[in-house]
Order: sequence, then structure tokens, then C-alpha cells
Amino acid sequence: MRLLSMALRNLRGYALRSFLTTLGVVFGVASVITMLAIGAGAEQALLDEIGRLGIGNIILNTVKPPEATQDKGGGGGGWVHEYGLNYKDLAMIRNTVPGVGRALPVHRRNPRVWHKSRKVDATAYAVKPDHLKLFGYEVVRGRPLTHLDEASLRQVCLVRSGLIQQLKSFQDPLGMDLLINGLWYRIVGVLKDDAFRGYAASALGINSKTKEIYVPYRTEIAKRGTREHRRRQGSFEATDVKLHQIVIEVENPDEVVKVAQMVRRVLTKNHDDEDWKMVVPLEVLRQRRKTQQVFTYAMVAIASISLLVGGIGIANIMLATVTERTREIGIRRALGAKRRHIVAQFLTETTVLSTLGGILGVAVSFGLISLMQNFTGWDAIVKPISIVLALTISMGTGIVFGIFPARRAAMLDPIAALRHE
Amino acid sequence: MSETESVLELRAVTKCFGEGDARIEVLKGLDVHVTRGEFVAIMGPSGSGKSTLLNIIGCLDHPTTGAYFLDGEDVGKLSDNRLSTIRNERIGFVFQSFNLVSQLTVLENVEVPFVYRRPHPSGVRERCRALLDSVGLGHRLKHLPSQLSGGERQRVAIARALANDPVLILADEPTGNLDTETGEDVLRLLEGLHAEGRTIVMITHDADVAARANRCIHIQDGRIGEAA
Repeated sequence: MRLLSMALRNLRGYALRSFLTTLGVVFGVASVITMLAIGAGAEQALLDEIGRLGIGNIILNTVKPPEATQDKGGGGGGWVHEYGLNYKDLAMIRNTVPGVGRALPVHRRNPRVWHKSRKVDATAYAVKPDHLKLFGYEVVRGRPLTHLDEASLRQVCLVRSGLIQQLKSFQDPLGMDLLINGLWYRIVGVLKDDAFRGYAASALGINSKTKEIYVPYRTEIAKRGTREHRRRQGSFEATDVKLHQIVIEVENPDEVVKVAQMVRRVLTKNHDDEDWKMVVPLEVLRQRRKTQQVFTYAMVAIASISLLVGGIGIANIMLATVTERTREIGIRRALGAKRRHIVAQFLTETTVLSTLGGILGVAVSFGLISLMQNFTGWDAIVKPISIVLALTISMGTGIVFGIFPARRAAMLDPIAALRHE
Repeated sequence: MSETESVLELRAVTKCFGEGDARIEVLKGLDVHVTRGEFVAIMGPSGSGKSTLLNIIGCLDHPTTGAYFLDGEDVGKLSDNRLSTIRNERIGFVFQSFNLVSQLTVLENVEVPFVYRRPHPSGVRERCRALLDSVGLGHRLKHLPSQLSGGERQRVAIARALANDPVLILADEPTGNLDTETGEDVLRLLEGLHAEGRTIVMITHDADVAARANRCIHIQDGRIGEAA
């Protein structure tokens, strides 16, 4: 305690110098904490983004093969490209793979959507009612899709609230009719405008530029079929993709990886072409997190260099201080201070200095982080452990870089020190 | 030790500095003997080795050869740590240039010797306050040394030298940096301490100052000259 108050007094005696000396530690600690906070924030964002896909889910997507070799003769004198996931896959996954809870089909269409005379950019997803629950879609107005909608082939749909703005209609959107590929669908519910971002969107085959419309799966398939015609280079081109997506819910989330392997085996047997792709959110999350952590550690390591420089700054100034206070050291030695007392005195001073710097650095980091969040909108989370870590390191810096000057002070010859001018 | 009354006894002490050709013998076999309650002055021109002698007496340095008994204990060969303890407990220093710690207040300066005591003794503050009172500085406890006059600073130094209740007070030209009048105050203070029965060894090159002591040891060229 006496050592501590003595150190504080000495530091106060040279307030400006002490402050400048510790500045290196202040910024070192501030940058370390900021980097850790950015890392933690990015990790949380990742968790939010990919976590929305559900870590207990497996998502299968149809992809267009490089060459659609399975051309089969279709109607109308054209060719029909048939590829992708099909009903056989769905049935086999449902019936042969153990551990599979629900397996939900999704059919996607890029439709021409009309409301009165206005054309809307949208993608229609024919989904099972459970699909919306599984991914936590939030209905802000109206009602969700129901099994009854499916059973009675109702022509109803859910839209993103962003789509309503595009309609530029001042009417109540509920009950509005949309002409989707020649079929009338009535809006029964509006979804919250929290579209999937980044990786999650691409994994679900959602194009963030177009708005989503969700229609009952059976209605769409029964009334429109799965074939799609497109005019291209003067001729018609037909494609037939039975299923664009299969979402598998694994009963026990711990078995996701095992189930994924079995599903993969089934699909590899069914498909000659690489016309499907599997996304396992859990694996993606793990992988991304690992990358993120490596990045964070690298940034923290770089930030630590400034902490090191701060420590060297402290050592440097303390060496100067020792020279300046040689006389005092001599007096103290003459009055009975042992070498270790002198070491303790100077070591306490550097440690107090660097710890104060660390505390100040924590404060600065909070300022830095809030400033950064204002300007960049990055997520940053300051974990208590990172503060503890930074303070411990700054204290350690004081001890490590204080030892040399302190030992130097203690090894001074008391007689010479007393004579020192 | 044959004489229990002896506070300080140097036997054939020599001190050399340097190695080989550069070796200089500063003290060439000194015998000094001071009994309890004496007020001894050590005189000599500069370069005579009196500072070196003081360092040895003050346990700041070891003699090269010879023995040094302080208060009956052979301190000539002790470790740095042990010497520190002896300085802390048995010797009170008064320096020519006062040597107060400039960041500390008057009271704290007097308390410094106790900072290095284990366990920490109780009643230190009261004792130090009383000592400062006795040297007439009871009203200056919270001042910094830089706010005091030279005479006042030396009185603080004397109070500090007394703080640990030493067996020996070692004064190195205590009046050297003071004008005649304040020097006289300081000398009177030392005489007062002597009257209280304390043992004082004072180094000086001023014959008038040396005359105030009851015995004077002359040092010339590393040897004892004639006693006055």
C-alpha cells in the first residue's frame, strides 16, 4: 500500500510526462480491445446470419449442370431441359434416411407479376406452410399460409412488405390480387422486411434484389406444373425442374453431419450429374468462424505491437527517470533501503503507470468502438474477458519493461548515487 | 570486543581503488576508536581520504583489509543487504547537501527510514512529528524541502538522522553549505544531541567547527595525523 501511494505520488509529480509515457500503452490496449470487439461482433453477425438457416437443417439446392445432357423430348417441338432435384430424391430422403424430421420441397419461379397495370419484380416460392415456420418468418399483418390453403388449392400468397411499396398503391395490401404468371393470387399476409443477408440468402436461393412472394406449394404445382417456358434467341426453351430446393430438418441437431453424409450418398446414387448442391449451415458456420477467428487473432497480434512499443516507451522513460533520480536512490540506500526496496519502488511505478494506461485504454476503446459503429455500422461486442485480458497484459507490460530500469536503479553504487548532481 | 563502551572501532583499515597499475591506496592502515557519548571531528584536506573513511564508517562501503566493529559487531564483511539494515537501524546520516527527497514533504522525509523496516513499527508519525518539533520545525510538516531555507533543511536532515534512534550520528560537513549564522544553529543542535549522550562523528575541514567537538582526528594522506 505504501509502495502504491508512493508510486502514485511520484507519477503525479510528473503528471504530463507520465501521461505521455503511458500513451503507448493506452493506444495499445485500446486497439487490442477494439480488435477483439470487432472480431466478436463479426462472429456474432455470422452466427445471426447463418444461424437463421438453422444449425439443425440441411439445405439442398438444384444447380444448373454445366451441360444439360439429360435432354428429353418434350411437347411443342422444343427441347425440355430436365435437371435438378426430383420427387424421387425427396421420397428417398423422407423414407430411407434415418434421423430426418421434415423434408420440405420448394419450387421457385421467376414470374411476371402484375398488379393492375403495374409490373413488379419478384420471385415466387412455392413452399409448404412448415417452411415459413422452420426459418422463422414473421408475419406482421394478416395470416401465414396454412395446410388448409394447400389442401384446397387456394390461390393465396404472402409477400415481403417491401413489395407493397413497389405496388405504389394506397389500398390495404391484404386482399389485393396479384397476377402471377397468369394466375390470380390474393395477398393474405405480409412478412416482416428482414430478408436473409449474405450467405444465408444465397444458401436459400434468394436474390436480395427481388422481393419474395410465397405461395402454397400444392396450389402452384397443381395449377402451373413445374415446366417453365422461356423465349430465347427466337425459339422457345423449356426447362423442367421438379424441385429447386429441399429443406431437411434433422431431428437431433447433433446428428446433422451424419445425416448430411447419408443424404449425400442417396443423391450421388440418384444423380449422374452435379446438378445439386448441399448446404449444411452448421459446417459453414464452423468453417466461417474458424476463418473469422484467425483473422481476429491476426488483427490482435498487430494491435499488440503497439502495446509492445508502448512498453518500450515506458522502459525508455523509466531509464531516464532513474538517471534523474539517482540522488534520491542514493539517499534511500543510505537510509537503509535494500536493493529489493529500490526494485520494488520502480517496478511499482512502472506497473501503476502501465495499469493506469490500460484502464485509460479501455475507456478509449469504448469511445473508439462507438465512433466506429457510428461510421461503419459494424457490429462490435466488448466481452468482459477481453477487458480483463487487456488489463492483465498492460500490467504485465509494466512489470516486464520495468524490471530493467528498476534493476539498473538498484545496482547503482550508493556512494556514487549520493554524489550525483 | 574488549570494551563494551566502544561504539566504533576501526583496526588497521585500508582501502584501495582500482586494479593493477591504476591501483590507488586511499586509506593506509587506520585505527580509529570512538567510545559511547563522544563527539569526534575528523579533519583533513580534500583528497586525504576522509570521505572514504566516512563511507566505511557509514557502512556504505567495505574496507579492503582490516576490521570494523560497529557497536560491537564486525560489519566489515557483511553483505549489501545486511549493511542496508545496519544503516537503517544504527546510523543517522547528516549530509553537507542535506539530501532530502524533493518530492516528499518534510514529515515524510523524516519517515523514510521507517519505510524500510519490517515489520512496520507503530507510532512513527507521532515520533517524527515530535522530532521535527524538537528541531523547531513543527509548523513546517507539510512543506516540501524546496520551500525551506538551507538551515531549515539541515534541521530536517538532523531530525531524520535521529528518527531511527541511531547508535551513531554521522555528519559529513553539516555546515558546509550554510552561512555562519545558520551553521551555528546546526552546530548548537549537534552539541545539544551530544549533551543528551549521543555519539557523533563529524567530518569537516573547518578548524573552528572541529573545535566544537571534544576530540579531533586529523587525516593526512590516508594516515592519522596528531590528535588535537
